[in-house]
Amino acid sequence: MLRVLVLLALLMSVVILAATLQDGIISVGQTLARNGVTEVRYSVWASGDPNSVIRVQGIVEAARRINKIWAEKGVNLKITVRETRYELDFTQMYQEFLSKQPLGTAGDFLVNSYVYIASLAEEGYLLDVSKYVAKYKEFTEDFYSSMLNAAKYKKGIYGLPQDTEARPLFIRKDIAKKIGFDLTDLDKKVAQGVFTWQDVYNWSKESVSKGASEWGLIHRRGSAHPDLMQFILAFSGTLYDPVDDKLVLNKEAVLKWLNIEWTFAREKLLPSDIMAWDWAKQVHPAIVSGKTLFDIGGTWYWTEWQTKSYYTDPKTGQARGLTPEEVEQWFYYTLFPAGEPGRSPVTLSQPFMWMINSKAGSQNPKYSVLKETYDELAFLIAAKACDPDINAIHSIISAHLPVGKSPAALLADKKWLDDLYEMKIDLDESVKKVLTDIVKATVHPINAKFLTDVAYMLEYTNFPPMHPMYPKLAAIFAEVVDYVLRGQMAPDKALDYIISKINADLDLKESVKIVEKALPSSSCPAL
Amino acid sequence: MPRVVKKFDSRMIEPWAFVAPALIIVLIFYFLPMILTIYTSFTPLRNWNISRYAHQIVGWRNYQRLLHAILNDPSVRAVFLTTFVFVSVTLTVNVLGGLLLALLNFFLGKKSSSLINTIWLLPRMAPIAVYALVWYYFFHGSKMGTLNSLLLKIGVISQPISFGQEFLPLGPWSVIVFVNGLVGVSFGLIVLSSAINSIPSEYLIAARVDGATDWQICRRVLIPQIKWHLMYVTTWQLLSLLTSYAHTYLLVSWKLVNKTYASPWALYVYDLAFTGVFDQGLAAAAGTVLVIVGGFLGWFTLKILGFDKLMGQPRGDL
Repeated sequence: MLRVLVLLALLMSVVILAATLQDGIISVGQTLARNGVTEVRYSVWASGDPNSVIRVQGIVEAARRINKIWAEKGVNLKITVRETRYELDFTQMYQEFLSKQPLGTAGDFLVNSYVYIASLAEEGYLLDVSKYVAKYKEFTEDFYSSMLNAAKYKKGIYGLPQDTEARPLFIRKDIAKKIGFDLTDLDKKVAQGVFTWQDVYNWSKESVSKGASEWGLIHRRGSAHPDLMQFILAFSGTLYDPVDDKLVLNKEAVLKWLNIEWTFAREKLLPSDIMAWDWAKQVHPAIVSGKTLFDIGGTWYWTEWQTKSYYTDPKTGQARGLTPEEVEQWFYYTLFPAGEPGRSPVTLSQPFMWMINSKAGSQNPKYSVLKETYDELAFLIAAKACDPDINAIHSIISAHLPVGKSPAALLADKKWLDDLYEMKIDLDESVKKVLTDIVKATVHPINAKFLTDVAYMLEYTNFPPMHPMYPKLAAIFAEVVDYVLRGQMAPDKALDYIISKINADLDLKESVKIVEKALPSSSCPAL
Repeated sequence: MPRVVKKFDSRMIEPWAFVAPALIIVLIFYFLPMILTIYTSFTPLRNWNISRYAHQIVGWRNYQRLLHAILNDPSVRAVFLTTFVFVSVTLTVNVLGGLLLALLNFFLGKKSSSLINTIWLLPRMAPIAVYALVWYYFFHGSKMGTLNSLLLKIGVISQPISFGQEFLPLGPWSVIVFVNGLVGVSFGLIVLSSAINSIPSEYLIAARVDGATDWQICRRVLIPQIKWHLMYVTTWQLLSLLTSYAHTYLLVSWKLVNKTYASPWALYVYDLAFTGVFDQGLAAAAGTVLVIVGGFLGWFTLKILGFDKLMGQPRGDL
């Protein structure tokens, strides 16, 4: 009975949602058609892990749905998605967008981390959608409020939420068993702050010394943002002070973080050159083949391990993806533990956003006269790409968390999941073609359960600062972590180095507040 | 008063006609970008936002920021030191290596020299990324690295060494000098080999008849005859090295070498302009400093190596 009611509510919300957006879509279509426009062309650029292709295909599907509405209402107009670019490196994609936007050659839609909103909005490269959010208020009510808030910068709203995630600490169950590491109720111990990074260190040492694993810990490569910033938070440090609108360098928390990196690397529990490792050839293969006890990862790893051939099967010698059963059998997951007793566990989310180029649609007919209409159409396309089923498909195939209530409800619906697995869903043929293999490998009750299980982590989540100078500060952290891991700089020297780098850059100096102490343990919540 | 009618003298025009194509190219591709760089250094240009910032003038603000960074940022001071070591050592390798190979070519004869030439030209013929990748795998700090696996095999080392990340600063300096040095040697080799080949054979025959050894022929005949070419190679390579960063950029990006001690000034300028917050105004100021230093060093090298004598009228007493 309850299930029927939920489904009815969902159906009603979809009907209401569609009606509101539908009015806008018809009205915009009629305006363009009246002005003699018969085709509107857009491009979409997105980036992320290999399974997050909905970040571009969502726009293709949204265009098809809008075209269908126009065809039904007799509007002689269609949207063509002229370019779909999907790349793995989201920083590079942001940099390319930044360089091409002024020339009018960047993608009309950009799906990327919300942290880039600050610099892009500051330069006027993104469309402020706040007036459309107000106009289509019912549509935006389905989003979790924290998600829509993440798109706000100063007085504007510069995107619509696409996904979010948590960054669990993965633990190999088989290795834990070998060394007598009992994982029963570990997530509760982590949540209570009883299991801390001191324990992670102890068990890592145990595992490596007993030869159960080659490494105790593996973490991300290349940059400190976002995963490693969790250390600062786990030691009750902060990254941003909203009162002063300044970034924060918390000396105590950063030093403790660097001490962990230093100790793990010196004791050969963590590879000293990990910042130079390759994701596909080294990082993921090391994790899935059981070379490490712990791994600081992200929820999306869960399905990425299933679709990418990171695992070399010892029986066949062939590289393949893991099955959902193997992932479930081998990996335990929990929050990022507290830095030390008396602190709280954390996680960190970096919501991705559907962002709209402020010049979106500029290559279309009569753009200068119809700019307002083209802007609204771009918003409506992005809004349609937020349809609950599109967001739910993205969540299940890429192990990202849904950004609204309706997609979350769909993920709990077994029939919908079965239909998706059979591809008996209303999607563009080209989108189906792209998704089929990923869907077959990932749409599984185990993966749906994983998403439900990790959803609680969002209660502990933090967001990296949305500040134009944050990339600069994050780049200094990345440089320093590499030096510390390699043993080129002791943690205290590294901290001095960070401070001297901040003070040496007059712009950065103005934007960063250096504080000595982290919050006292007693003020930590949830303990 | 009789009117003086100036006759059109085509000889006045001819030299300009010959020089014009080169002048136009220099103007468009060298002079204009330099002026634009200098102009940009007085603007707050960032994030490629030309329409917003290009017309705003901030005076010496970018130069103040640059000076502040030079005085306070330890990695910027390392960049200075790296630039000095990188340019001077690589230049020495380029010029002396090129000269040595050119002389070797001369004494070995055409057959063997064409093979040597081809081998030495490979670094220049290979695309930058491919060439950098070859050395990336050669110096890689794991067992996968060619040099490490070789040294491990013959028992010289027991653990792989990360050549570009250890022994700071000598490790990364050695790697970038080695990689860039090999590319530059081929340039010296070509120019100096052609110069030696154009020396009239009478000089060499006379020297041989007089009983000169190979070493004496090198010292007394060949090197004095190609001194202008040596000057050209030295000056050209000096300026090239000051502004080159492509190979180094890749090796730094791939974390083969320590960033602080493998970033010459040109790479620092690139980093300012195209990474982090894309601070193109500040990068232009750093670039302008590079232009000034390059201009001064170019002038100084020509002065020391006697460019005036090369351009002067021959005395006619030879």
